[in-house]
Amino acid sequence: MKASAGFSPVPGEEPGCHLSKKAKVCLGILLCVLVAGTIVAVVVGVLKWPRTPPHREWNGTGTTPHFSEIVLGRCYTYTQVLRPELRHKDCGQIGKAFMNAFLSKDPCNSSEQDYQLLLKLTNQTTPCHTNVFWSKSNQLAHQYTRVRQDMFTLEDTLMGYIADGLDWCGDAGSSEMNYQSCPHRRKDCINNPTSVFWDTVSKRFAENACGVVQVVLNGSISNTFDENSTFGRVEIHNLHPGKVSRLQAWVMHDIGGVHSHSCSSPIINDLKFILSKRNISFTCQDDYRPIKFLQCVKNPDHSSCSSII
Amino acid sequence: MAAQGCALSWMSLRLPALLLLLLLLLAPGFAGASGARWSGEGTTPHLQSIFLGRCTEYLALLNPQLRDKNCTDIWEAFQAVLAKDPCSVLPSDYDLFINLSRHSIPRDKSLFWENNQLLVASYSEKTRRFMPLGDVLYGRIVDFLIWCRQENASGLDYQSCPDSEGCEDNAVDSFWKRASMQYAQDSSGVIHVMLNGSEPTGAYPVEGFFADFEIPYLQKDKITRIEIWVMHEIGGPNLESCGEGSVKILEDRLKGMGFQYSCTNNHLPVKLLMCVDHSTHPDCALTSSVPD
Repeated sequence: MKASAGFSPVPGEEPGCHLSKKAKVCLGILLCVLVAGTIVAVVVGVLKWPRTPPHREWNGTGTTPHFSEIVLGRCYTYTQVLRPELRHKDCGQIGKAFMNAFLSKDPCNSSEQDYQLLLKLTNQTTPCHTNVFWSKSNQLAHQYTRVRQDMFTLEDTLMGYIADGLDWCGDAGSSEMNYQSCPHRRKDCINNPTSVFWDTVSKRFAENACGVVQVVLNGSISNTFDENSTFGRVEIHNLHPGKVSRLQAWVMHDIGGVHSHSCSSPIINDLKFILSKRNISFTCQDDYRPIKFLQCVKNPDHSSCSSII
Repeated sequence: MAAQGCALSWMSLRLPALLLLLLLLLAPGFAGASGARWSGEGTTPHLQSIFLGRCTEYLALLNPQLRDKNCTDIWEAFQAVLAKDPCSVLPSDYDLFINLSRHSIPRDKSLFWENNQLLVASYSEKTRRFMPLGDVLYGRIVDFLIWCRQENASGLDYQSCPDSEGCEDNAVDSFWKRASMQYAQDSSGVIHVMLNGSEPTGAYPVEGFFADFEIPYLQKDKITRIEIWVMHEIGGPNLESCGEGSVKILEDRLKGMGFQYSCTNNHLPVKLLMCVDHSTHPDCALTSSVPD
């Protein structure tokens, strides 16, 4: 048998390392497939590759889901239903100004300036003698203003109402909100969008206060007056001596709870001293009766609730 | 000359008369353009934004277990009713909306009421203590809102809407009828009812939402007992108390239906809440664990 039969050149073709027609076709197809595959891979890669770098990871809770809808809904509820004297406010603009305050910005470099337009659009004057500040007494203070609709905590003003309980932050390299996480005040950075926001609006709330203002303090904890709290750090230092005649403190003790501090405690004297240096007079009342009633709603059978006379 | 004078005086009479006639004809047109069709308040501005905002907030913050709910679908179901003639809206028109937004009410947490909405809201503390209709998703979304379609056009009427005096089958009343029926059906355990014993028209309105759209829909097999609280305003007047007047009518009705019930005057925790605003009133000094 002639072994060289399969290796002899096909008549008509040149000798050397040339491939058969069939092989050429196969190679051609393979090349096309490779090129097409590369194009597809590149396209898919480009599409899948995030247009913006992924959000940074923080230790705090991410932006509240449906943040912008909640903001808009609350703004309209407040201006159209709760306080219709503010119905001229432009909630569309307010929503936009809110987003622009933190979107596409470094969430560790937030500043008062970022919120200036938002502040301007939500400005609201509350009547004199109606401001209720609070420190470590969140629930109680708000239950009180819920009953006394003529009194206002920060969260009863338009801006406070809109933002209460929400979280938000963005990222410098992205136009999106970060729903995964946001900077934690202690663990990440202090100048984050929500901390700066609350300091900014608390400052304004204090600046706008006039007449006799009140503060609900918690006498059942050790730091009844805390110079590191928003009240101690921001609000008392921004009360305007020309407008605020007096700060009245109500030191409340939990029903059946500990009496850590009261009006006569040195810690309350610290507060009095700070205010006196600013020419604002100070009065204090232990277990202010109307708020005591509120506490008693939860403990109606307690002895301290039945002997209220 | 006389003829001219006559013609003039004739003209001078006719012209103002003509003008007056014209004015009379056009006046209703003007009134129609600037006057309101109905006597009730018009549709709340930005209704959709408020609706969606409240819905998403309720699902996100107040009741995160309701993950299967979709606020856009719920709005669309509501919108379908907005397209109806303002005097032809029936409670059943809200069936789809209710089906999409209903959810379970925790046992023993239902609180029915008449003539004391703000007190109920304060006492319930946004579902922490109780869950009245205003704190259920479908109640929360539209609480305090008003809506209706224009009479002869497809858009919403922001000027005025018919109330019960305008026509019975109006959008808002029919909504609350339907919502009340659902709320009652979904209630279980101990049922609480807060009535206003200082209300001149009666603590228990024999023709009201509670009487007509809630009591008939209470599910006897799911309910252990009914607790009635008759509250008096601080300083009175104490017009009705347990066992009296319309309250007696309610008690008899419940007894007739086979419900176990109890009635308390001035349920202490609620009374204490009322005292926040009247702390120096003698009525608030009588606070004790002994019921009055």
